[in-house]
Amino acid sequence: MKFRFKVVPSLCIGCRTCELACAFTHAQDKKPGRSRIYPIAYAQDKYVPVVCLQCDDAACAKSCMFDALKRNEETGAIELDKERCVKCMACVAACPFGCSLVDDVHDEVVKCDLCGGNPACVQFCPTKALVYEKI
Amino acid sequence: MVHITINGKVVKAREGEMLLSVIKRQGIDIPALCHHEAIEPTGNCRLCTVEITKEDWNGWKKHVTSCLYPVEEGLIVSTHSSEVMEIRKTLLDLQLARCPNSEYIQKLAEEYGITETSYKTRPDADNCIMCYACTRICEVLGKSAISAVNRGHDKVIGPPFGEEPPDCIGCLACAQICPTDVIEWSDDGEVRTIWNKKFDLIACKKCGKTIITREFADYLIEQRNLPPEYFDTCDDCKRTEVAQKMGGLVEAAKEVTL
Repeated sequence: MKFRFKVVPSLCIGCRTCELACAFTHAQDKKPGRSRIYPIAYAQDKYVPVVCLQCDDAACAKSCMFDALKRNEETGAIELDKERCVKCMACVAACPFGCSLVDDVHDEVVKCDLCGGNPACVQFCPTKALVYEKI
Repeated sequence: MVHITINGKVVKAREGEMLLSVIKRQGIDIPALCHHEAIEPTGNCRLCTVEITKEDWNGWKKHVTSCLYPVEEGLIVSTHSSEVMEIRKTLLDLQLARCPNSEYIQKLAEEYGITETSYKTRPDADNCIMCYACTRICEVLGKSAISAVNRGHDKVIGPPFGEEPPDCIGCLACAQICPTDVIEWSDDGEVRTIWNKKFDLIACKKCGKTIITREFADYLIEQRNLPPEYFDTCDDCKRTEVAQKMGGLVEAAKEVTL
């Protein structure tokens, strides 16, 4: 893996710009997609952006019986091949961090794909709580 | 890497790749009912038929199902020639006679200018087009709980002896992959019913939300060596849990630095 996606919760101000950036980046047919990143408040005005961390030994990829989830060696992201997905929800149930999601609007399973190597959330994060860096 | 010509445009393709994948990648829309990337192609519906020729074939051409035809160097493909359109029209006319009530088939046939079938419709018709996508996906999953039963006119897709399928784990892969949505299923509270078999859905320990069946989770745990506790809570509750855990770490780190 050449890159690393890093979340620094102490810098997050809960502005939810990342959520918007994600939803609009993944829009289809002029409808925004479901955001793959969730800033969740753990205390008043204190947020953690919960997002897929592209685990090394990923439960989502292991649980997929149809090989629809595969790692993109360039970006390090585990990408969902929509053509292979049969929406059995195995990955949604298996991810221990709850980061494999169901997009009800477009009726599909979605997960963070690091926008193919240029994550929109990172670009829009005003406080640099989200970092995508070379290692 | 091989070079083929699709509708007059030269495109690159990987060796051994099927023609349909290349055509789809070019954004050309051709119907393919029984095709899905997760299953082996079988060419049952034949709607992805295209016309192929080569420069040294002296004007000879062939009609092949593109889902089953591996690409070859110098292939010249035509996806919407008049003959291909005529073949698809006939196929859809026949499909419409088999499944007159299927909205999906009706819509597709209409796109090809058929509003009513010219053949005799099947009495007591269901919407199954016998594409075997459901049985093939069940096979990929490693269960093969359903298959074709009986022969000829009586042939249907179903569980063995019409009883509750013993190998079914209620994953819904068959129902999801079915192009004409013929497989009936329902989720009622914590009970899922498919193929007349009832399954217990795992209810999230915190909020009660249901995602998959207990049998499917057990199968995944056994096959893919996943820890059973991964399936105890739903995705929403897991995210909240992560936020709280990480938040706790942030607070602890702050105390250390102070």
